[in-house]
Amino acid sequence: MIHVLIFLPALAGLVALVYPRWAQSLGLLATAVSTVLGFGLLLGAGSGVAAYAEIPLLKDAGVYYAVGADGVGAVFAVVIPLVVFMALLAVREAPGRMIGLALLMTTGLLGIFLSLDLVLFYVFYEATLIPSLLLLGVYGGRDRVRALMKFALFTLSGSLLMLAAILAARFVGGAESFLLRDLLAARIGGAAALWAFAAFALAFAIKTPIFPLHVWLPDFHAQNHPSGLADVMGTLYKVGVFGFFRWAIPLFPDAFQAFQPYLLFLAAFTALWAAWIAYAQNDWKRMLAYGALSHMGVAALGVFSGTQIGAAGALFLLAASAIYTGGLFLFAGWMHARFGSLELGPTSGLARHAPALAAFGLILFLAMVGLPGLAGFPGEFLSLLGIWQASPWLALLGFLAVIAAAAYVLGAYQRLFHGPPGKIVAELGGPEWGFAVLATVVIVVLGVYPALFSTPISEAAKAFVSVLGGGQ
Amino acid sequence: MIPTAILFLTGLLATLLGVEAPVRWVRWVVRAGLALALGAALFFGAEGQAFGGLFLYDGFARVAGVVGIVAGLFASLVGARYLERTGMERFEYHALLAYSVFGVQVMAASANLVVILIGLEILSLPLYALAALRYDAKSEEAGLKYFLLGAVASAVMLYGIVLLYGATGSFAVSAVGQGPLYLAGLLLVLAGLFFKASLVPFHWWAPDVYQGAPTPVTLYMATGVKAAAFAALARVVVGAGVGGLAGAVVALVVVLTVFYGNLGALAQSEAKRLLAYSSVAHAGYIALAVFGPNPAPAMGFYLFVYALSTGLAFAVLSQLDEGEGVPFAGVKGLIKKSPMLAGVLAIALFSLAGMPPFAGFWGKYLVFVEAARGGQYTLVAFALLTAVVAAYYYMKLLALAFFASAGEGGKTPEVPALAAVTMGLVGFLVLALGVFPGLVYGFFNVGNLVP
Repeated sequence: MIHVLIFLPALAGLVALVYPRWAQSLGLLATAVSTVLGFGLLLGAGSGVAAYAEIPLLKDAGVYYAVGADGVGAVFAVVIPLVVFMALLAVREAPGRMIGLALLMTTGLLGIFLSLDLVLFYVFYEATLIPSLLLLGVYGGRDRVRALMKFALFTLSGSLLMLAAILAARFVGGAESFLLRDLLAARIGGAAALWAFAAFALAFAIKTPIFPLHVWLPDFHAQNHPSGLADVMGTLYKVGVFGFFRWAIPLFPDAFQAFQPYLLFLAAFTALWAAWIAYAQNDWKRMLAYGALSHMGVAALGVFSGTQIGAAGALFLLAASAIYTGGLFLFAGWMHARFGSLELGPTSGLARHAPALAAFGLILFLAMVGLPGLAGFPGEFLSLLGIWQASPWLALLGFLAVIAAAAYVLGAYQRLFHGPPGKIVAELGGPEWGFAVLATVVIVVLGVYPALFSTPISEAAKAFVSVLGGGQ
Repeated sequence: MIPTAILFLTGLLATLLGVEAPVRWVRWVVRAGLALALGAALFFGAEGQAFGGLFLYDGFARVAGVVGIVAGLFASLVGARYLERTGMERFEYHALLAYSVFGVQVMAASANLVVILIGLEILSLPLYALAALRYDAKSEEAGLKYFLLGAVASAVMLYGIVLLYGATGSFAVSAVGQGPLYLAGLLLVLAGLFFKASLVPFHWWAPDVYQGAPTPVTLYMATGVKAAAFAALARVVVGAGVGGLAGAVVALVVVLTVFYGNLGALAQSEAKRLLAYSSVAHAGYIALAVFGPNPAPAMGFYLFVYALSTGLAFAVLSQLDEGEGVPFAGVKGLIKKSPMLAGVLAIALFSLAGMPPFAGFWGKYLVFVEAARGGQYTLVAFALLTAVVAAYYYMKLLALAFFASAGEGGKTPEVPALAAVTMGLVGFLVLALGVFPGLVYGFFNVGNLVP
C-alpha cells in the first residue's frame, strides 16, 4: 500500500508528460488516491512505525529501499498529496507537462518523508530537485535562469557536503547499513560528529531556509510560473525542519547540543527579520516568500528547542503552513489571472465587488497570522511554548515575529481588498469553489481539532526527545 | 580470452576486407565483431590466462574490457552521420577502431608492466591515426599533439618499468621494492598512466585533442581508453600499496584533478571542450576508488556508467557537429529543434552531475564509499565540493539546450534511425540503472586487482 501511495503520483506524472491533455484529471485522481491511503496510515498510526517495508537496493553496499510511516510520516503522507490535490483543483490553465512535473515531485516529497534509510532519503531529496528545476526553468519568468542557478547551487552545495557526512555517519561508527535503526545503534561521536552535523545542518538550513542561506528563496518564488503550482511544490520542498528532526539531530545529538545556541539564534533572527522584510514587499509572491520564511524560522526554533512540545509544534506548523501558504500562492495565481500582474496595488477594493473571493483570502491570511481556531495557531503556539522552555529570551523574539505577521498580513489585507475600488473582476466561480471550500474546511478542522495531527506527531516527537536524552 | 581473440580477428578481417569490399561491409563487420565480443564477454565469462600468466583475463579485466567494447560499439553506432558529413567514411576508420578496442582488452588484462605497456601501445597507435583522420588543420593538430605527447608518456613509462625491474627484479605490479631507484621507477610508471587517464598535471593534451578529434573518436577516447588506463592504474597503485608513496601521489593528483578539471570546465564556451574538462574531472573521481579495501566493483561500476553518460553526451554532439565543433550557440534551443536529442542530453548531464535517480549517482556513491572506507574523508569532502562547480556548468549547458530560445539559422538535425535507437536505449539504461542499481552491480563485484 505504502508503495502505491508513494509511486502513484509519479506514474500519473509520467503518463501526463506523454499525454499532457490528461494531466489534470490524472493528477487529481492519483493524488486523491494517495491522500486516502495516507489517511489510512494516519488513522492507524501508533507509537511505532507503520507499513514498514525493506527491500535491498544495493545489498553489498548496505543500501536499502526502506520506507515506513511513523506519526510524522503519516501526517505528511496526508498533507503532501492533499495539498497537490488542492493545487490541481485551483489551477485552471497550467500546461499539462507542468502538472506532470509537479506529480513527479510529489513522489519525491513523499519519499523524503517516508524513507527510513539515509541513502534512500538522499536519493529522494536530490531526485526531487530535478523536476523542481525543470518547473522553474521551463515555465518560469524572464529571469528564470538566474533564479534557477541560485536555487540549484545553494541546494547542491548543501546536499553534496551532506553526502560526505552521510558516508561518515556510517563508516566512522561502523554501522551495518544506512538504515535509520542501524545508524542510531552505532552513532558516531567526537570531532567527526561535529563535522558531520555541520554538513547536515548546512544542507537543511539551506532547505529550511534559515538566514543567511535563504537568498535563493525570494527569486525562486518571484520567477516561478504565475499560476502558483510551482510555488506550492516549492513550499512543500522546504523540508529542512523535517531533516533536522528525522536525521541530523537524532544521529548527532551531542554535536547538535554544541551548535544549539547558534542555531537557535539564527532561527529567531530569521523569523523576525523575514517578517520585517515581508512588510515592505510590493509583490504578492515576494511578500508570501518572506512571510513563509518567517514561519519557517518559528518552526526551526521549535525543533532546535530540543523539547517534545517544540518539536511537535514545529512539525505541525510545517504541515499546516504547507496548506495555507500553498493556498495563498494559489490565491496569488488567481489574482494574476484576474489582474494580469502580481503587484499588490491594483486589487484594491476587491471586497466590494467580489466578496466571496475576498472572504476566502481573509481566511487564508488569518490562518497565516495564527488566529486561534484556524490551522496556523496550534503549530505556532506549541513551537513558541517549546522554545519558552529552552530559552525565554529567544521565545520573546519568536513572539515578536508572530506579532509582526499580524502587522504585515493585516496591512496587506487592508490595502488589497478594501480601499477605493479598482478594476472589476470575476467573482469566485466554478471549479474555484472546490478549492476554496476544501481549503477552508481543512484549515478549520485543523484549527478546532488539532489532535488529528498533533497526537501522531507527539508520539514521534517523544521518540525524538528520548534520543536527545532527557528534555521535557 | 575469447572476446580479445574476436576483436583481433575483427580488426584483421576489416583491414583485409576493406581493400576490396565497399566500406559499408567493413562497417557492419566491425559492428558485428564488437557485438560478438560483447556477448562473449558478458555471457561466456571466459576468464583465464595465457602466456604463463602474462595475459590475465580476470574479473576486473572483463569489466574494463566490456566498458571498452561498449564504448567502441557506441561510437560506431552513433557516428554515421558525422562520418558522412565530414567525408571520413573510409574503411580504415572502422578497422582502427577495432584494433584500439583490442588494445583496451590487452592493457586491462595483465598484471605485468611490460604487457600493460604493450596494450597501451596497441590501443594508442590506432587512436593517433583516428584523431587525425578528418584531414583538416584542427584534426591534424589533435593527432600530432596526441602522438608526440603520447610517445613521450610511453617512453617515460618504459623508463620507469626499467628502473622498477632494476630495483625489484620483476615486472609484476605486485613487486614492491625500496630505495630511490624503486621510488623513481614507480613515479615514472604512474606518470605514464596518469597521462593516459588524463589526470592533472598530465592532462594538458586532453582538451585540445578531445576538441580537435572527430567527435565519435572523442566519444571513444573519453570512455573506452579511460577504462583501460584506470584498469592498469588501479593494478599498479594497489600493487604498490595505497599506504605508501603511490597512495600519497594519487591523493595529491585527485585533489588537483577534481579542482582543475571542474574549474577549467567553467570557463569553456565550446561543448566538446567543456566535456573534455569534465572528463578530466571525472578521472579524479574514478581514482578515488583505489583508496578503499575493495576498489574493483566501485571503479568498474563508475567506469561503466560514466562511459554510458559521457558517451551519450558526445553522441548528441556528434549529431550536432558539422566538423567544426559545437559552440554553445549550436546547443541553444535544442529542445525546439530536436526534443529527442535534448531529452537524451538532459539524461546524460544529470547523470554526469551525479543526481539521482540517474546511474551516475550510484557511480559517485560507490567510489565515495570506497574512499570513505579507506578513511579519506577530507578527500571525499573536497571532491564533493568541486562537484557543486560541476553541477553549475552542466546546468549551464542544460539551460542553454532547454531554456534559451533557438539561435538564428536553426536547422533541425536529422538523426539517423540507428543512432536514435542507440541513444534511446543507452538513455533508458542510464535511468534504469539509476533506479535499480542492483540489477548490474553483481557483474562488477569482482575480486582482487592484483594476483
